Amino acid sequence: MKSRLAATGVLVLAAWALPYGLGSYTVHVVNIALIYALLALGMGLAMGVSGQINLAQVAFFGVGAYAVAILTTHYGHGFWLSALLAVLATVVTGLFVGVPALRMQSHYLGIVTLGLALGFINWITNAHLTGGADGISGIPVPTLPGVDLSSEYLYYYLEVVVFALALLFGLFVVHTSLGRRLRAMRDDALAAGAMGAEIPFLRMTAFLLASLYGGLAGVLYSGLIRYVAPETFSIGNMFILLAMVIIGGRRSLVGCVVGAVGLTMVREWLSDFSTYAQLGYGVVVVAMVVFAPTGLAGVPARLRTLYARRRAQQPSRAELRPFTPYTVEERSGPDGVLLSVEGVTQQFRGLRALDEVTLAVHRGEIRGVVGPNGSGKTTLFNVISGFYRATAGTVRFADADTTAARPYTLSLTGLARTFQNLRLFGQLTVRENILVALDRTRAHTIWQYALWQPGVLARERRLRARADDILERYGLVDFAEADPSSLPYGIQRRIEIARAMAARPRLLLLDEPAAGLNGEEVQQLIRIVRSIRDSGTTVILIEHNMGLVMSLCEKVTVLSSGKVIAEGTPQEVVSTPEVIEAYLGDSDPAELGLDTPRSAARPEHAQEATP
Amino acid sequence: MKVTGADTVQPLAVEGLSVHYGGVCAVSSIGFTVEPGQSVGIIGANGAGKTSTLKALMGLVPRSGGRIRLGDHDLTRVKARDMVRHGIGYVPEGRHVFPGLSVEKNLLLGAYSRAWDKETHRQLDEVYALFPVLKEMRERLAGALSGGQQQMLAIGRALMTRPRLLVLDEPSMGLSPKLVGNILDVLLKLREEGLSLLLVEQNAKLTFGVTSHCIVMENGEVAMSGTSAALSHDPRVREVYLGL
Amino acid sequence: MQDTLQTLVGGLSLGAVYALVAMGFSLVYRTMGLVNFAHADIAMIGAYTASTFYLTSELPFAVAMVVAIVITGAIGLVIERVLRPLENKDFDLMLIGTIGFGIVLQALAVIIWGTTGRAVPSPLHSAPLDVLGIRVRTYDLLVMAVAALAVVGLAFFLSRTKRGAAMQAVAMDHEAATAVGIDVGRSNALAFAIGAGLAALAGGLVGPMLYVDASLGGALGIKGFAAAMLGGFGSIHGAVVGGIAIGVLDSYAAGHFQGYSVLVTFLVFTAAIMIRPTGIFGERTVSRA
Repeated sequence: MKSRLAATGVLVLAAWALPYGLGSYTVHVVNIALIYALLALGMGLAMGVSGQINLAQVAFFGVGAYAVAILTTHYGHGFWLSALLAVLATVVTGLFVGVPALRMQSHYLGIVTLGLALGFINWITNAHLTGGADGISGIPVPTLPGVDLSSEYLYYYLEVVVFALALLFGLFVVHTSLGRRLRAMRDDALAAGAMGAEIPFLRMTAFLLASLYGGLAGVLYSGLIRYVAPETFSIGNMFILLAMVIIGGRRSLVGCVVGAVGLTMVREWLSDFSTYAQLGYGVVVVAMVVFAPTGLAGVPARLRTLYARRRAQQPSRAELRPFTPYTVEERSGPDGVLLSVEGVTQQFRGLRALDEVTLAVHRGEIRGVVGPNGSGKTTLFNVISGFYRATAGTVRFADADTTAARPYTLSLTGLARTFQNLRLFGQLTVRENILVALDRTRAHTIWQYALWQPGVLARERRLRARADDILERYGLVDFAEADPSSLPYGIQRRIEIARAMAARPRLLLLDEPAAGLNGEEVQQLIRIVRSIRDSGTTVILIEHNMGLVMSLCEKVTVLSSGKVIAEGTPQEVVSTPEVIEAYLGDSDPAELGLDTPRSAARPEHAQEATP
Repeated sequence: MKVTGADTVQPLAVEGLSVHYGGVCAVSSIGFTVEPGQSVGIIGANGAGKTSTLKALMGLVPRSGGRIRLGDHDLTRVKARDMVRHGIGYVPEGRHVFPGLSVEKNLLLGAYSRAWDKETHRQLDEVYALFPVLKEMRERLAGALSGGQQQMLAIGRALMTRPRLLVLDEPSMGLSPKLVGNILDVLLKLREEGLSLLLVEQNAKLTFGVTSHCIVMENGEVAMSGTSAALSHDPRVREVYLGL
Repeated sequence: MQDTLQTLVGGLSLGAVYALVAMGFSLVYRTMGLVNFAHADIAMIGAYTASTFYLTSELPFAVAMVVAIVITGAIGLVIERVLRPLENKDFDLMLIGTIGFGIVLQALAVIIWGTTGRAVPSPLHSAPLDVLGIRVRTYDLLVMAVAALAVVGLAFFLSRTKRGAAMQAVAMDHEAATAVGIDVGRSNALAFAIGAGLAALAGGLVGPMLYVDASLGGALGIKGFAAAMLGGFGSIHGAVVGGIAIGVLDSYAAGHFQGYSVLVTFLVFTAAIMIRPTGIFGERTVSRA
């Protein structure tokens, strides 16, 4: 902590002292570099942190700069009022450009945003208002009492202050609730939605941040150069901006800044050979992507792992500890229906994945859903948890019609799930994975980021304390800082359950929780699921492991070809002729656990099993 | 009827096979032999290194050590795509058919390394005879098949490579007991025809039913090995892998 | 009516060029799962080389085109080789890598051919045909015919040949493809080379229609991408339909909104793609949980 404080102090001093040692031209270059650094921060927040491929950043820059130019020269407004309006205009533009992100992602989004940027360039090159290809000159010098901002030396201080605030704010966002959710969305939008992250809102937030930074950069640019013209906002510059972010390291804001400042410097030094400089960028981008995909910012970490590998490999002492059962909740309130699915049909093109499925799950139940592969089990989960919208029929959860509800809405009303093919957030630590699910703050509290940051920090502390409890309970403390994808499969399964339970849902959907677990791990799973139910959470699980279903579930629903073909206690179900025909085939019933009815769950057994 | 190319017979010998991912050791110095016409199984929990062993054998992941020999041929440096030319057919974990191509194209691609001629079509008919359901579905896109049908297609495609040794990675994964039974029947049939099998499974019961020898893997190492009959009566194996 | 038809005809020939760009783009996407942002700049290099051999070396137009296709095909091979370590690993990184190559190609074009562009005369000198009062330039007909041939050829290659099937198989599952003996690297390289060749074909054909300079790629490429998206990413039919749609939209916007045609084109495109993100023939990718 002390060293960090000292480092910050040194940085502040250096930033303050920097202009004293530089010639006027160099200061100009530094000023330009800071503007690009701001732009790169915006790019980094949208692309690296939130995973939104935004190739319209240069247009945001242009909107900010042109808005100041037009408002000051055409309408005669003062610089600062114009600046304020310009940032607002950029944010509005950003939100508009962000709308397609609600419908498409990845390269699709890249092409659409690039197309819109091209449209913007086309407009400023041709419109009368923007002065066409000549641009707009004569933007007034921004005034500040007692400071002459026409001096580039003094303008530097204005920029440094804005930049430092912007960087701090960016880092603050990335390392707290909002940024964590943005990163979770980047890693796996579906899972993030199921954890209560309001995806559409977060995507718009990413564009809001990108355009805010773009607008600020535009304002500073117009105040510095006092002349705007289309070539500054060209697609070529867009790609150079992209190069800055990639070379620096898109997932690290500091990396973005290093990339931007570095490349601007190089560009200035090579300005006499601009074509060769461009060639150089291209080559460097390609080389970075191939040899150092995490950018300059990732180099230290790569060196560290290399170093760690060089040294004798120490066997890690991390181990999965036993699960601590929840305290048993005396079941209060009505034992009514928690979830009811009525006549749900799900049609995909020619395939009817669910055919008028009806089932009701009561509070406090452990329900098994079994059936041959392709019988629609996971589709049913996807309909219940809001990933698919049923073609026909209704789903009611906790006395409300949730047929059309989005996954995040369902999550916020108390539904949680796991996934068949593990969907942990790969670039977040185990602790952060839990924190994402724990964080029940709704999107509208984002105002705190602008107006009341201490509130955000206080909440952050509370969340971390609760995350520690969950890690403790599920025996995951040793892995809190680990990267989930580096952990063994069984531990990843445990993390998924812990993450789903972090929000204390009313209903937990488990999609093949025993897949890939060995005998001992399955026994642990049985204990965990029983304890979860005893703590007051209703559980529905899809499973192939019949032994598990037989010993855990009070009631089993059997699906075949999208239809419910049987429902009842495990014993009843496995003796139904349709079930034997469709599912069990000629397997010897003795091997499916039929000869061990005593292991079938009764509530009293369930409590015995939790030590 | 004979769908396989089990004419020349040579043993496959694997010695000291190791795999590292980053700094983590996934497989450490595994060795086993598959005699001609023999069926060998590898069982173990998830993460024990079974799939890595097969992928390393096939050259699909880099090996950090070990030798692979087929009779007198040293296959250690043979590229993954050339393994079919040495008579090793591979059925990947999780089926991995080509979803956007028709069933028939999928099968024909099994014969990619040879010219598509009359002989190829004769062989195609043999695979259809083994899996009649694939014949019914021949024009369908493979992605539209059910899980069980896809598994059959994946096996059929591997048979089209005319293997002498068929390497299967968890053919029972995600299949209902009934379909697992079907897969078992098919494997038994292939074994009767003299094809050598190397079967990686979680499903110990299925494996013991098909193979004559087995290896139990734990943490990337051979924990036990022996005849399938002996292993299926071993108390520890029964407890951990058969759930008895 | 007459005007509308005239616009339509103008749009069709430009649309044929966009379709070619979109096809090359779709082929690489379909076989390698890679969005090649350098594609447009490859087309630009194709336009330059074709025009250089046609004007400076005075080769016949068709021969100049073939030379251009071979050269750009080779460039495609180089790009594929360099980015090969990333194949099947990180989609976004490869995308950014191709953007890097685009920057390199533009810089190379400026170094070789300078910043001033060039106008290429049409290789056909016959007078425009008059069909029902609509002027149809013979060169436009040639462009459409060549594009149609390329579509048929590509469709035949993918659906009827062993190598075509293998190329698609690699795209769907490279590991399974390796296991049946397909050389994934060579298949991808071939796909990339064919894609680059199609780009060069588009670039060479568009030379006599537009002005050739280093920024040609930008305009051609983004509209080609838009065409591929509108038609449905990875679909060859889609590329054709999308290309024609963008071409017609473009020529209509140019007729009615003059200077703002690009803005209008992309606004309409954005609206269309919002309504149907997977495009006309796009495979509906069900998000699987």
